[in-house]
Amino acid sequence: MKETKLGDFEEVILLLVGILDKEAYAFRIAEEFESQTKRAVSIGAVHSTLNRLGEKGFLTSAMGGATAERGGRRKRIYQITAAGQRALEESKDFKMSLWNQFPAFAGNLKFKF
Amino acid sequence: MKNSKRHIAPPRLAEKLLLWFLKDELAEEVLGDLDEKFYSTAEKHSTRKAKRNYWFQVINYMRPFAFKATKTQRITTNLMIGHFFKLSWRTLQRNKIFSSIKITGFAIGIAACILISLFIGHELTYDRHYQNQDQIFRIANQYAGTGDFGRWTNMQGPFKPILEDYIPEIELVARTVFWKWGDVGENHIRRSDTNANIFESGFFYADPELLEILEIPMVYGNAKTALTEPNSIVISKSKADKFFPGINPVGQQLILNDRATQPYTIGGVMEDLPNTMHLQGDFILTLKGRESGPGSTGWCCSNYTFYIRTKPETQKRAIEQKLVKVRDTYVMDKLSEAGVTDLEDMQKYRSYYLQPIANVYLNPEDIEDYQQHGSIELVWIFGAIALVILLLACLNFINLSTAKLINRSKEVGLRKVVGSFRSGLIWQFLVESVLYCFLAVLLGLVFVTLALPTFNFIAEKSLTIPWASPWFIPLLLLSVLVVGLISGIYPALYLSKFSPTEALKGKTRLSRKASFVRGGMVVFQFTATVILIICTLVLHQQFNHYMNQSLGYDKEQVINILGLESLEPQKRDVLKEELLRLPTVESATLGDYLPVSGGRTSNAGYWLDGRKSIDPGFEAATWLVDEDYLQTMSMRLVEGRNLTGQSLDSASIIINQSMQKYLQLEQPIGARLIDMFDNKYAVIGVVEDFYFESLTGNIGPLAMLQGKGSSTLSVKVNTDQLSEAVAGVSSVWASLKPHQPIRYTFLDDRFERMYDDLLRAKTIFIIFSVLSVTVACLGLFALSAFTIEQRGKEISVRKVLGASVSRIFRLLATDFIRLVLISIVIAIPIGWYLAQGILQDMANTIRLSWPLFGLAAIIAFAVALFTISFEAIKAALVNPAERLRSE
Repeated sequence: MKETKLGDFEEVILLLVGILDKEAYAFRIAEEFESQTKRAVSIGAVHSTLNRLGEKGFLTSAMGGATAERGGRRKRIYQITAAGQRALEESKDFKMSLWNQFPAFAGNLKFKF
Repeated sequence: MKNSKRHIAPPRLAEKLLLWFLKDELAEEVLGDLDEKFYSTAEKHSTRKAKRNYWFQVINYMRPFAFKATKTQRITTNLMIGHFFKLSWRTLQRNKIFSSIKITGFAIGIAACILISLFIGHELTYDRHYQNQDQIFRIANQYAGTGDFGRWTNMQGPFKPILEDYIPEIELVARTVFWKWGDVGENHIRRSDTNANIFESGFFYADPELLEILEIPMVYGNAKTALTEPNSIVISKSKADKFFPGINPVGQQLILNDRATQPYTIGGVMEDLPNTMHLQGDFILTLKGRESGPGSTGWCCSNYTFYIRTKPETQKRAIEQKLVKVRDTYVMDKLSEAGVTDLEDMQKYRSYYLQPIANVYLNPEDIEDYQQHGSIELVWIFGAIALVILLLACLNFINLSTAKLINRSKEVGLRKVVGSFRSGLIWQFLVESVLYCFLAVLLGLVFVTLALPTFNFIAEKSLTIPWASPWFIPLLLLSVLVVGLISGIYPALYLSKFSPTEALKGKTRLSRKASFVRGGMVVFQFTATVILIICTLVLHQQFNHYMNQSLGYDKEQVINILGLESLEPQKRDVLKEELLRLPTVESATLGDYLPVSGGRTSNAGYWLDGRKSIDPGFEAATWLVDEDYLQTMSMRLVEGRNLTGQSLDSASIIINQSMQKYLQLEQPIGARLIDMFDNKYAVIGVVEDFYFESLTGNIGPLAMLQGKGSSTLSVKVNTDQLSEAVAGVSSVWASLKPHQPIRYTFLDDRFERMYDDLLRAKTIFIIFSVLSVTVACLGLFALSAFTIEQRGKEISVRKVLGASVSRIFRLLATDFIRLVLISIVIAIPIGWYLAQGILQDMANTIRLSWPLFGLAAIIAFAVALFTISFEAIKAALVNPAERLRSE
């Protein structure tokens, strides 16, 4: 059976795919990742993750339009599947439940030491 | 805008690389993404950055998901590699003897190579561990006169304050004394609270700064202050553990040679000096606060070796120039006051040289000093020998691989018929040779492990196999690949070439070229072997020549009793008298100067009286001896008389014949001499020249003055029963000095030890000659096996027709003998040339003679014949029916 857990980096990429919607292809995702996290990433790394997410069934993809900057080449647009959506929600719920169990932060988010 | 973008394009090469490994179906999207990235980077930053980034992106696409699926063709190759290994293994097992010869020969070569690399590696790591590596120097004097050039370390003591005051680029200066002066070298030592003297060696003097300059790590005490107090001493960790187990010995006192009134106080304990340091020793005595002897401040005498540390970023050249300037300004007057006469000469020809610390051990500048040195020549010679042996081993492998050609040619033919490509066959043979090489390296490592202790013993090293270092295993594996491929490529190309029909018919005739190549290899191997044999024989003869040389004195039956420093002077005379009472003792002399190494040495300048300001003068070894010295050493007076013990001889001098020549004296007796300290002497005798330094040099001038030794007493015994004589001497010693065990050497042993270097060189050459002969013989064995197998049918037919065994043997041997003869003819001139080179550096050498070369030739010839005869006789004795039946 394929591993269906969501890694940290995978989760971010998955979210970015959702955010970018029709513009979700490897280059744009990498750019967005860099501008949102201020961390450098190679397109290859993003592509490899997208590929893996596809294999897990969290993403589907289809070839989209071409532009001049790409030398007339088409791009592969990714889209979140229902399974992907569910995985994201589960991950969020899981973290929220963890947050709720943390007494210092439960209810009011004030730092106390 | 678009046009300007067109001519900046992503790097083509990177694109090609990408397309080469990337899955075809991904190409479009990936190339598109990367292009977009490229142009956006180019716009935001620069084209250069964009290009760099493109490469970065491409390299980052090297991920499993993006790779092309390995093509079907590749899969077969991958499968085939396993198959190749299996086949190679089977071939190896099928011919056990042959394979083991092949691997052993290879392993010997590789083992020799590893050993030598370890040795060379060690030699090159000396004195390279300092933090301030580029700032540490040793100062050398330099004389560059017309046609005369020399460098030496000795300088006058008072240079130290001069350097400190006038050359600000020099941070630290330390003087050292390593020659036998004061307590340098060997001493008897004890803790101040015991009275049992223990013999120790490795003493030398140094200024306090030495510890800092050479960055010697301290266990106890501070490097800055450990030697600053007068009479302080720094001892090594291992000696501290020996004398003061378990405690911090700083502040404790040590007594040298029973001089209880002058104790040394331990100022610090240093880590044992690493074996990659030119400086070796366990006890550093301070030079601080000494009025006379080591540490004294006279300008007369050059007794010190200087180490300095310069300020960072200082040019060594600038300091060298400044040294000359400082000498001319501040030192000249002092020197002339001290009576130095060759000042003009000095100003004209003498300068200074700073030797980087890393050079001191191998000393390529050839600076005269008192240190043990490695030899840069030896490093080169060893390296060359290692390469030659490895080459021999490779050639052997090639020879042996092509040797069993007939068996393999059928295999090759069949494989081709079944559809194997030539490339596949080449792969097969390469894999085979890499496999053999791998096994050979494993076996080689076993050899190295076994041989290392012996090698360490011979070369006086403590080398270990660096298993733990990160480069060792990878380097070995890499060399397996490289050597395996190099030695496999010829057999691979050659064997894979056969046309299948001919190969299957067994018609693999050798091309003339191939047999020429094989013959050439044998010639090369034997040439190298004969050259090594010649060098070995030359060294052997030279060594024997030295050992049997008439020396001008008799080294047999002389016992040197050492360690008299700790006796009071009167007791030394008592010892001598007591010893003379023994029936076995013929004569005895108190003298520290011996005609072998390890004795005291000193030099002084001499002139004929009245010519001191006119002649340049010369230095002569100057020995203090008593009236019994000449008799004990069996030295002969050519003219005049011996010294007496009386005070009338306090200004008498005995010179050797060589000194007589220097002085150009026809009538030496009665001539008056003056030395550098203005002492005047009358010559009373001339002693026959004897070798007082190594036989590898010439006999220099030598003067003998009246005096008594303080550390050594030599006795001549009149019996061959040395153990009996020693027992007698020992009991006398024990009665006089119960707290210090007797220490003695035999003069002839010490004499032989002077030639340890030569003996070592000889031993090493013998070892490598034997190795090279072994390897070469394996090669010849293979070739003979090969040719004889080829001619099997011919031999059988000849036998059937009535040829005798001896005739067939002669027939088979002739070919090889011819090759060996060619080798000998080539090797003799080269060997002669090399042997000349070896002997050139020595004086008193043997003459190269024909019998020597003849002997080398005969050895090579005999070994070759012996090797061939195995296969030749086997072939000659075989029953012809066996061989012919298969037709």
